[in-house]
Amino acid sequence: MIYRLIGISFVVLLFLLGCKKDSTIAIRTPYSLKIPSHFPDMIIPADNPMTVEGVQLGRKLFHDKMLSRDNTINCASCHLPQSGFSDPSQFSIGVNGAIGKRNSMPLINLGWQTEFFWDGRKKTLEAQILDPVPNPVEMHLEWKDAEARLNASEEYKRMFLKAYGTTKIDSNLVAKAIAQFLRTMISGKSKFDIMYKFENNITLDPGDQPILQAVTPSEWAGYDLFRSLNGADCFHCHNGPLMQVHGMKNNGLDATFTDLGFGAVTGNPNDNGKFKTPTLRNIALTAPYMHDGRFETIDEVIEHYSSGIQQSATLHPLIEFAFQGGVQLNSFEKNLLKQFLLTLTDYDFVNNPEFKAP
Amino acid sequence: MRRISFLSILVLTALISCKEDKVEPILPDVPQLEIIVQPVFGSEYIIEDAVFTTVEGYDVKFTELKFFATNVINGSNTLFDAALFDWKTKGISMITVAGNKNNFSSISGNLGVGPGDNNSDPAAFPNDNVLNISNSGDMHWDWNPGYIFIKVEAKVDTIPNGIPLFDQNVVLHIGKNVNLQTLAFSDINWVNVSPNLARFSLKLDLQKFLQNNGQNIDLKTEFTNHTAPGQEAQATKIIQNFKAALSKL
Repeated sequence: MIYRLIGISFVVLLFLLGCKKDSTIAIRTPYSLKIPSHFPDMIIPADNPMTVEGVQLGRKLFHDKMLSRDNTINCASCHLPQSGFSDPSQFSIGVNGAIGKRNSMPLINLGWQTEFFWDGRKKTLEAQILDPVPNPVEMHLEWKDAEARLNASEEYKRMFLKAYGTTKIDSNLVAKAIAQFLRTMISGKSKFDIMYKFENNITLDPGDQPILQAVTPSEWAGYDLFRSLNGADCFHCHNGPLMQVHGMKNNGLDATFTDLGFGAVTGNPNDNGKFKTPTLRNIALTAPYMHDGRFETIDEVIEHYSSGIQQSATLHPLIEFAFQGGVQLNSFEKNLLKQFLLTLTDYDFVNNPEFKAP
Repeated sequence: MRRISFLSILVLTALISCKEDKVEPILPDVPQLEIIVQPVFGSEYIIEDAVFTTVEGYDVKFTELKFFATNVINGSNTLFDAALFDWKTKGISMITVAGNKNNFSSISGNLGVGPGDNNSDPAAFPNDNVLNISNSGDMHWDWNPGYIFIKVEAKVDTIPNGIPLFDQNVVLHIGKNVNLQTLAFSDINWVNVSPNLARFSLKLDLQKFLQNNGQNIDLKTEFTNHTAPGQEAQATKIIQNFKAALSKL
């Protein structure tokens, strides 16, 4: 009799244990993204659905200096809110004062991006996030060491358990969590957004009308110039609600290249001198400009497209006035264009407390 | 003996209870139809960086060829609502959809985007629709109505001195409701390329595009058009030539 009971108990135990998949069943709360009405849907990777717990975890990781070799910098060190989540320095300073060769890109509307980094070397947000931690000119910490630090933290173990149902922390989960947080960083409440909706016959929100009425004639004129083929001709590369057309382009900065950009990624000479087309949102806050931060002011940027275009074999064909050095705006037009560019600032976005350190 | 049988049943129960549902792969037995568009220059296939000579003697390299085809139907049968041909990025295959070739011996549709969609919020289309601004990208201008119906871009060497400079950019972007064209093909020969896939092949003849029954496009002087005020007549010629350049392969 006793053997039978032992046998039954063993089999029942086998039955119970054999079916168990995860050590713990975590309850995750779906996170609802606040996507502006005039934006396309954000496509979320199937293997990284948005959850409240994931976003909270990503936010903490984004602001945690533990992910740098000497615990001195975090992601936010090079992506400052007051700078539109970019870096006001031409080149960001990494661990031990290491200096990179490209300007830090603003973190904004990343959930709609299809290329990451100035040279477009990564195609997903999660893949992009894996780069800065071990990069010698950034956080300079091997992932195995970062993982060891995180796995030694009871707080992080609890948070990963809540977010991903496991206490075994690895770089892929770190990237997923930070990606979730970054996908919440949506900017679509600038004055330009109201102008865009009005121009496209999109229903305005109740609070939009007073802002629309406050758009100045100079701002409208600047918008017209921005979209005019015989004006500033900006819209070919910067349009739509995201204020960018995806793709890698040579915008005429140099006749010869010291930084091959996308060409170094693909190995194709036809890609030399091409870089990611950035959004113009929050441009008033994201100086300096271009992949190497060579321009300190918006005025310098406008002057580049007006008279400073350099010819080269890979120059983007839509820079149609390259043969005369640019679009040749006069000072009045330059000022109008600048007035419009300033409407792209979204103060709600940069001041959003949900993006600050927890 | 009874004890062994009893235990065996229990073990078997335990094992069976853990078996995950086996998912049988679903084979694509739905017939599919594909439309391809082969860019050519006369009798030559156009490939990247290939150089062709226009009737005026200019050397030309085509860099971008795109167009929208929408509302493509045969009577009450809809083949697709919208497709974007994007030679540079996607190659010569324009679209593959579920459909029975017997229902589409003839097709007709728009070259471009009809006013109903052209005047709509480009972010409001379904995610998988090419008209969604996430997919249409640089084929939408930033205002309403805003789709670029056809796009031809090239680099041209207009100086016949033997030096391949290719310093003249050609940018022809045609849109706006007034320029919407219709397309129609009949007696279509859908070629079976696999048991469930039939293909209809079109060609886009860029030589014909540049020389269409006296409506020539001289790339030295007519190198840019964005359907802007003052460019209307040229824009109409360009899209009419583009339509004429599309024919069965």
